[in-house]
Amino acid sequence: MRRCPYIIVCVTVLLGLVSPANVARASSPWFTARPVLSTVEGMAVPPTEANKRFPPPEFESGYVQPSPTTPAPRQDIYQYIDALVLLAALGISAYLVLKRRSRSAIFALAVFSLLYFGFARMGCVCSVGAIQNIVLSIFDRSYAVPIVVLAFFLLPLIFTLFFGRVFCAGVCPLGAIQDLVLVRPVRVPNWLEGALRLFAYVYLGAAILFAATGSAFIICRYDPFVSFFRLSGNWNILTLGGSVLLVSVFVGRPYCRFVCPYGVILRQLSRISRWNVTIAPGRQDPAIVMTGLTGGPDECIQCRLCEDSCPFGAIREPTADWTGRDYSIGKKRLALLMVLLPVLALSVGWAGSRLKNVTARMHATVRLAERVYLEDAGKAEGTTNASLAFRATGKPTEQLYAEASNIRAKFTLGGWFFGGFVGLIAGLKLIGLSRRVGRTDYEADRASCLACGRCFEYCPKEHARRKGIEN
Amino acid sequence: MGENKRLQAGVTRRRFLRDSLWGTCLAGLGVLTGFVVGKHRKTNTLWQIDPYTCIACGNCATYCVLDESAVKCMHAFSVCGYCRICFGFFGPEPVDITEGAENQVCPTGAIKRTFVEEPYYEYIIDEKLCNGCGKCVKGCNAFGNGSLFLQVRHDRCLNCNECSIAAACPSGAWKRVPPQQPYLLKPALSPSAALRVNSAERMAAHPPQAEHGAGNHA
Amino acid sequence: MATAMVGGAFSVIILTLIAVNHFQRAVLLPKREQKLEVLKLELRSRPNPVPTPAFAGASPAPAQAGVEGNEQLTSQIRQLDLRIRQLRIRRYDFARKGAYLLLASAVTFLIAAKCAAVFRRKLPAPQPQPDRHDRQFHDAKWARQAVTGGLVMLGGAALILALIPEIDLSASGGVPAGFASKEDVAKNWPRFRGPAGLGVSAYTNIPTNWNGKTGEGILWKTKVPLPGHNSPVVWDDRVFLSGADPNKREVYCFDALSGRTLWTGPVQSPTVPGAKPLELGEATGYAAPTVATDGRRVCAIFPTGDVACFDFAGKRLWATNLGTPDSAYGYTSSLEIYRNLLLIQYDQENVEEEKSKLIALDVSSGRIVWQTKRPVPGSWSSPIVVEVDGCPQVITCGNPWVIAYDPSDGTELWRAKCIAGDIVPSPIYAGGLVFAIEAYTKLVAIRPTGRPVRQAQGRGDITETGIAWSVEDSTPDICSPVSNGQLLYLLTTDGLLLCYQVSDGKKLWEKDLKTNFLASPSIVGDKLYLLSAEGVMFISQIGPFDKAQGRPEYKELARCELGEPCHASPAFVDGRIYIRSSTHLYCISNRRDG
Repeated sequence: MRRCPYIIVCVTVLLGLVSPANVARASSPWFTARPVLSTVEGMAVPPTEANKRFPPPEFESGYVQPSPTTPAPRQDIYQYIDALVLLAALGISAYLVLKRRSRSAIFALAVFSLLYFGFARMGCVCSVGAIQNIVLSIFDRSYAVPIVVLAFFLLPLIFTLFFGRVFCAGVCPLGAIQDLVLVRPVRVPNWLEGALRLFAYVYLGAAILFAATGSAFIICRYDPFVSFFRLSGNWNILTLGGSVLLVSVFVGRPYCRFVCPYGVILRQLSRISRWNVTIAPGRQDPAIVMTGLTGGPDECIQCRLCEDSCPFGAIREPTADWTGRDYSIGKKRLALLMVLLPVLALSVGWAGSRLKNVTARMHATVRLAERVYLEDAGKAEGTTNASLAFRATGKPTEQLYAEASNIRAKFTLGGWFFGGFVGLIAGLKLIGLSRRVGRTDYEADRASCLACGRCFEYCPKEHARRKGIEN
Repeated sequence: MGENKRLQAGVTRRRFLRDSLWGTCLAGLGVLTGFVVGKHRKTNTLWQIDPYTCIACGNCATYCVLDESAVKCMHAFSVCGYCRICFGFFGPEPVDITEGAENQVCPTGAIKRTFVEEPYYEYIIDEKLCNGCGKCVKGCNAFGNGSLFLQVRHDRCLNCNECSIAAACPSGAWKRVPPQQPYLLKPALSPSAALRVNSAERMAAHPPQAEHGAGNHA
Repeated sequence: MATAMVGGAFSVIILTLIAVNHFQRAVLLPKREQKLEVLKLELRSRPNPVPTPAFAGASPAPAQAGVEGNEQLTSQIRQLDLRIRQLRIRRYDFARKGAYLLLASAVTFLIAAKCAAVFRRKLPAPQPQPDRHDRQFHDAKWARQAVTGGLVMLGGAALILALIPEIDLSASGGVPAGFASKEDVAKNWPRFRGPAGLGVSAYTNIPTNWNGKTGEGILWKTKVPLPGHNSPVVWDDRVFLSGADPNKREVYCFDALSGRTLWTGPVQSPTVPGAKPLELGEATGYAAPTVATDGRRVCAIFPTGDVACFDFAGKRLWATNLGTPDSAYGYTSSLEIYRNLLLIQYDQENVEEEKSKLIALDVSSGRIVWQTKRPVPGSWSSPIVVEVDGCPQVITCGNPWVIAYDPSDGTELWRAKCIAGDIVPSPIYAGGLVFAIEAYTKLVAIRPTGRPVRQAQGRGDITETGIAWSVEDSTPDICSPVSNGQLLYLLTTDGLLLCYQVSDGKKLWEKDLKTNFLASPSIVGDKLYLLSAEGVMFISQIGPFDKAQGRPEYKELARCELGEPCHASPAFVDGRIYIRSSTHLYCISNRRDG
C-alpha cells in the first residue's frame, strides 16, 4: 500500500499530459509527439538502474521472481559442419564433373545442395554474400570475419583454381534452384551475353563499394532466392525471386550468368584453372594436361552434335579460317582500344565519383544527417523515428554532419574505384572481342562453363568411353 | 618440323603465363586469408538488440524475414516495479483497470497480468503470442522502470548475414554479438557502475574547464 | 505431361491464395487495427462512468444513456480485437501451410515438366552452316556494339543520378554551430540584466535624454501583443520578448532598426480538457521570466512549465514541458544559456518533497543533460553564470542557501546558508564577491571558492568561512543589486537607493527617490540608470571616488519620462535603450541615422 500515492500521482499527471496528443493522433496513439515525450523528467530514455521510478518490491507472500528464458543460439559446431559439408560437396562435384562425367550425378548433387544449403540452412551464409563480409573486414578494423564465412568464401575459389566452376555446377543452392526449373531453354544470342554480363560486374562493384563503406550488404538484401529457402519473406523480394525463377524456366540460370557477383570472380579464376571441363573425354586426364600438349586433332571429331546442347551458351565453335584475309582494320581497332582503355577507365571512374550524392544515401548515417538537416532547415515536415532517436541521444548535429561528410568523402573515393573498375572491365571486354583467338575444336568456354555436364552425353566419344568402361 | 616447334614454343609461353598467373592468384588468396584470419574474432557472430539504445519503434515486428519476427519482448523481473497500473500492459489511458481488450496495449494479448500480493502484480509475456512490436516496451520505458525490452530470440533467429531489421533500425540498437554473450539483458550493469558510466559520458560530452576529478561523481 | 499440367495449375491456384492471404494481412489487417485504435480513443474521449481508484474524483457520473453507449462500444472493441487476433493467427498459419503446399506442387510440376521435356527431346541434328567466318565476324561486331551500348546506358544512368542534387550539410541552413564567444556576449544583451545578469552595460554611448510624451529621443515604439513582466533581450539587430495571458503564450522577435515585429512564436503545450487554467496574480503575471539567447536561438520559459526554443527565423526548434511549477506567487526565474546548456532554476514549494532543482537542457535538442536537486523551497530569483578564478559557476539564491554549481555537469561547488524568506532579487558577482539579498533585512557578501572544494571541505559549505561581510539594512524585496566593482547599489521597491562600499560593506549614503521601483538598477559607464514603476528613468552619476572631491553621494544627472508604467528592466545596447512598458516596446536613441 505504501506506494499507492506515488502511482496515483504519476498516473494522474501522465494522463493529463498525454491525452490530448492521443486524441490528435488516432493512427499512432503512442507518444510520437516529442514535446509531450519529454514532459516528465527523463521520459525519452528508459530510467537507469540507479534511477528507477518504482523500487522493486519486497514480497511478503513468498513470491519467487521468475527469471527470463534465454534460448541458446545454434551451436558453433554446426557452423563447422556446414563448412565440412561444403568442402565435401565441392570435392564430390569436382569428381563428378571431371572424372565421373555424369550429368545425373551432378544433378543429384545439386538437388542435395539445394535441400541442404538452401532449404535446410535457409541460404545463409552463402559464398556469394561472403564477399561482402571479407570486404567489410578489410576496410573496417573492428569487424572480423567469422572463420566459417571465410571458408565459404575461399573454398569455392580454391576449387575453381584447380577444377573450374565445380561450385556453380552442383554446390551453389542459388544455381541449383535455377538449374532445376530450367525446362525449355531458349538461346540468348552470343553477342548479347557479354553486354548483359556487364551488369554482374556493376553489381560486384556496387556490392564492394557498399560493403567497404559499411553501408549495406546489397547482395543479401536483393538475394532473389533466399526468401524461397525460408518459405517466407518480403513480398517485393518474393515477387522478384518469382520473376527470376519464371525467366529461369526459359533462360538458363539468368542470375548466375548476368547478375551473380561471385560468378564473375569465379569466371576469371576458371580461365586459369588447372583442370577444366571438356566436352570430349580424354583431355581431363591429368597425365595429358601436365605434358602441356592439350588438344590434338583427334580429340574433337567435329561432329557438331554438341553445338546446341549448352543452355548457357558456353560452347565455342572452332574459329573460321582467316588465312588470306585482311585484318588490318581489326589490328587498328585493337590498338585504338588498348590506348583508350585508361581513358575509358578514368572517365567512368569520374562518373562514379559524381554519384556519391546518391550512393552515400545507402549509409544510414548520411540518410540520418540529411534528414536531420532538412528538419532543422524547415524543409521537411515532422520527424522520423531515426531523427527522434538521434535527438534523444543529445549528440550535437555538427558531429553527425561531420560524420556524414566523412562517409561521403569515402564514397567519392570509392566511386572513383567503382567507376574505374566498371570502365576497365568494359574496355577489356571490348579488347577481348576484338582479339582473334584461334580454336580448332568445339570447346567449353573456360569462363562461361558452369560445369553442369549437359554436353557430355552429346559427344560420341563420351559414349565410346562409357562403353569402354562397361566392357 | 619448324612449324611444329613454333607451335610448341607458343604453347609453352602461354602455359608459363597461365601458370604464373595461377600461382599469383593462389598466393593472393593466401595473403587475403592471412590478413582476414589475423583479426582477433574467429567465431561466428549473432544479432542482438541493445535494450538501452532501442527506442521500440516497431520495426522489429515488420522487418524480420520471418513471418513471425524472431524478436520478442522479454521481461527483466528484477527491474520490474510490479506496478498495479503497468503502462506496458495498459494503454496510456485505461478506461478501467481490467484486462479488457479496450484497456490493453498489446495487440496480440501476449501479456498475462496476475495478482501477486497487495499492491503488486506480475506481468508475464506469452512468447508464442508476442510479435515483437514493442508497444509495451515503449510504455514501460516512458512511465515505468523499463523492465520490458526487446531481444532477438536465438531459437528463432536465422542469423542472416545482413539482418533486415538491423538495416531498418532507426536508433542503431542492433549489434553483432559474440556467441558467448548471445543476449544483452537488463539490468546490464550494477547501479554504481551505471552511475559511473553516466558521469563519464557526461564528462566526455561536456568537458569541464577546470580540472574536476572524475571521482567526484562516484 | 498431364501431371505437369495439374501440378502447374495447382501451383498457380496456391500462389493466388497466398497472394490473397498476403493482401489480407498487409492491407486489411492494418485497416482493422486502425479502426480498433479509433474505437479505443473514442471510448477514452467519452466521460468515464465508473471512477476507478486511479482517477479518484476525476469526473462526476454521467447520464445512464452514456453508460450503455460505453458498454456497447466496449463490447464492440473486444469483438473487433478478438477478430483481429484470430485473423492474424489464421493468416500466419495459412502462409506457412500455403508455402509448403506451393513448394510441393511446384516440385511436382517441375518433375513432370522435366520428364516431359526429356521424353520430347529431339536428337541433335546439326544443319549445314552458312559461312562461319561471316557469322563470327558479325557476332563479334554486334557484341562490341552491345557492350558499348551497355556502357552508354550505364553512363546515362550515372549522369541522371549525378544530377540529383546533394544536400549540402556544411552550409547549415539551420542554426549556426557552436556557441557565442565571450566578446559577442559582452556586445549584446543576451538575458535578463544583460551579460552574466549583472545589470552592467559595456557601452558608454547610451542616451541620457528623451521624452515619451513628445517623442523626443524615441526611435520607435511597437505594441507588444500580450503582456508580461519580462525584460527585452537583444542580439545584434533582434530584440526578443515574451508575452502571455492565461490561455496563450508567445515569443516575439522585433527588428532592432525599425521596431517591426519579425515573427511571433506560439508556445502551446497541449491543454488538458477540463483542467482549470493556471491562475496567477498581477504581481508576477503569466510571462515574468525573461528569455535568453545564445546568438543562434532564443529560449523562453513560462509559469506553466512550458519551455520552447526558436531559431532566429522564428522556427520552433523544440518545446517541452517541465510540469507546472508549484510556486506561491507564480514562477519568475529567468533563463541563462551557458555554452550549449539552457539553465533553469526550477525551485518549487515544499522542501520535503524535493521538487526544486536546477535543470540543464541541451539547447539544440531540449533534452535534459543534467539536473540537480536543490534543498530550497520556491524562489523567484534568477541564476547567473560567472567565472570565478577561471572556473565557471552557476550561482543561485534560495532560502536559506546560496549555492554554486558546475555548469558543465551540475555538481555542487559551494553553498552558504545566509538568507531567508521569499528570495526575489537575483545574485550578482562583483569585485570578487557574490552578493545576495534577504528582503527588508540583510545584504550578504560571499567570497566564492574558485577551485572546487566539493569533497575537501565537508561538501563545500562555506557558511562559516566564506561570508566576507554582511550588513543588516532595509534591503530590497524585488530589485536586484548592481555594482561597478567598487560601489554597490541597492534599490528598494519604495524608492530608497542605498550605496555601499564593495570591499567592506560600509554604507556610504542613502537617498529616498520617493517613487516606486520594480525594474532592477543598471550601470552604464559611469552612470546609474533607475527606471521607476511610472516610467521615469533616474540617471545619476557614479562616484566620484577620490577623496579630494569629497565622499560620494547621489548626484542626479537627468530624469526622463516615458509616460507609461514599466515593470521590466531595460536593455542597454550600443547607443540604445530598449524599454518594455506595460503595453509597448520602446527603443530610445539619440541617433536618428538608425
